[in-house]
Amino acid sequence: MNTEKLSAHPMAIRGVIPQGSRAPHRPATAPPSAAPRRAHELRLMWRNTRMVVLSVLTAALYAAVLVPFKVVPLIPGVTELRPGNAIPVVCSFLFGPAAAWGSAIGNMIGDFFGGVGPGDVFGFFANLAYGYIPYKVWTIVAAPDQSPVALTPGTLARYVLAALAASMLCADLVGWGDNLLALRPFWVLGNIIIMNNMVAAIVLAPLLLAAIYPRVRRAHLLFTDLMPEIEASARPRRLVGFAMLLGGEVTAWLAGNLVSAGYWRPALVPAAFNVAPYTRAVALTVSPAIVIAIIGMLLL
Amino acid sequence: MLTSLYLDRASAIHRLHPVVKLFGLFVVFWSVFWVDRPLALVPIAVLLILAAQVAGAWPNFYAFRWFLILMIPPTMIEWMAVYRQGPPLIDFWFIHLSGAALRYGFGKGLRLAELLAASILFLSTTTVEDFSQSLINLRIPYRVAFAMSLAFRLVPLFMDSALTVVQAQRLRGYDFDQGNVFERLRRYVPAMIPVFMGALRRVNNMAMALEARGFGAGVRPTNLSAYSMTRRDVVACALLIVIGTVYFLLYLYGYGAVTP
Repeated sequence: MNTEKLSAHPMAIRGVIPQGSRAPHRPATAPPSAAPRRAHELRLMWRNTRMVVLSVLTAALYAAVLVPFKVVPLIPGVTELRPGNAIPVVCSFLFGPAAAWGSAIGNMIGDFFGGVGPGDVFGFFANLAYGYIPYKVWTIVAAPDQSPVALTPGTLARYVLAALAASMLCADLVGWGDNLLALRPFWVLGNIIIMNNMVAAIVLAPLLLAAIYPRVRRAHLLFTDLMPEIEASARPRRLVGFAMLLGGEVTAWLAGNLVSAGYWRPALVPAAFNVAPYTRAVALTVSPAIVIAIIGMLLL
Repeated sequence: MLTSLYLDRASAIHRLHPVVKLFGLFVVFWSVFWVDRPLALVPIAVLLILAAQVAGAWPNFYAFRWFLILMIPPTMIEWMAVYRQGPPLIDFWFIHLSGAALRYGFGKGLRLAELLAASILFLSTTTVEDFSQSLINLRIPYRVAFAMSLAFRLVPLFMDSALTVVQAQRLRGYDFDQGNVFERLRRYVPAMIPVFMGALRRVNNMAMALEARGFGAGVRPTNLSAYSMTRRDVVACALLIVIGTVYFLLYLYGYGAVTP
């Protein structure tokens, strides 16, 4: 038996693996050096048990705040009051990629209490973006190691930009997806979601963040402490990503609203698609902008 | 507070393989996707009512009754606003209301209500374990499926601790119901912080507990419940394929569309 290999295993160090038994192929928490260098952090985080637990906690907290408000619909079948939308933004600054997955899973769990639908697939990825974008945008617009809780006009403006970038892509993805499935016109969800997300992100999230961020930092549970192996990509690449994200999501939002409300009939769209209720015209017009925004998000 | 929609019954639908139930949900989504005509959506509604009867899911449908009914009018209005075809009954400024628009809007509303009904039926007959097992069967990574089922389990726990904090603060004279909507929302922040911090205190213990049980050790984990495809599952799949095909044919031959 290769005792050297066994003793090197982290579970063996903690005494989990009995003497004489074989070491599993992969450690539960891979040491930083064992992680593939080129893996994206959204994949990499699943190798770290603490990050998995943080994504579970984010999901459970998000769902626990969403579910009680399912009974207070603003427009039945469309949306409800969602104070829980503050959780992904708060957790994004704290737990990074774990918050992205947590908000995606949490939203899906929330949907389970109010009925699931085909649009929830888009809701899953939209919430993934909603939890992923704030901390990534923050690393671009803020100075290194700048805390998001400082009450200065500059910090607040950067915070609002990060929250708005996340809210807009979230709204675009759900509006586009539900339009693609011909469930709801783009102009309904594309606007309601931005409003709902921004209300929670501006009214609630800063208060929560101000109370929780310093404590999490002291407890060394920030994602930068738990996953030091995450390396930021080169700044030019991130800037290009940021420009693509903003350009793509703003274009998607404008085009989606104008086409679905019948105010713009793009010349490039075939005439057969340019008829009310414009679901195909919206799909054709918005899709390229969504693709650009998603590529930009992944380049951040 | 409702923390799960699952109803423990011994019906034929409950006993179906979880993947078949997920496939059933997909077939309902697929079928209603192809048709807009309210009349074409009626057979699916009848099938859902029959399935609810077989599964004994009426308590959940009763709990969602107002939601099922009230979701139709807003959906109708949304779609009628953009459907500007057919001879108008009312034509004023931006309002262009025709008989076709009414049918189209009602069809869309009915479609959403049927989607919700299908999901209520699915959740009434499927446990979280069944659902996460069906995800694993569909090649969703084990860790993601596990995270989802663990989060599901924690939701009632967090809701419970939030309720305890709210009650404790009410006892101390804190008024959560003062002010407008935004003011009220802000008043819940002091209740959310202890819940958040309580959750964070679990992180290290939970991670250690998971690692001690070999979480992510690279070995495919086994399951307490064993699922196998039976003849009942095959018959259900065949029926679902027929339903999905019929609805696609309705679309292909133009019977599902609303004509102006």
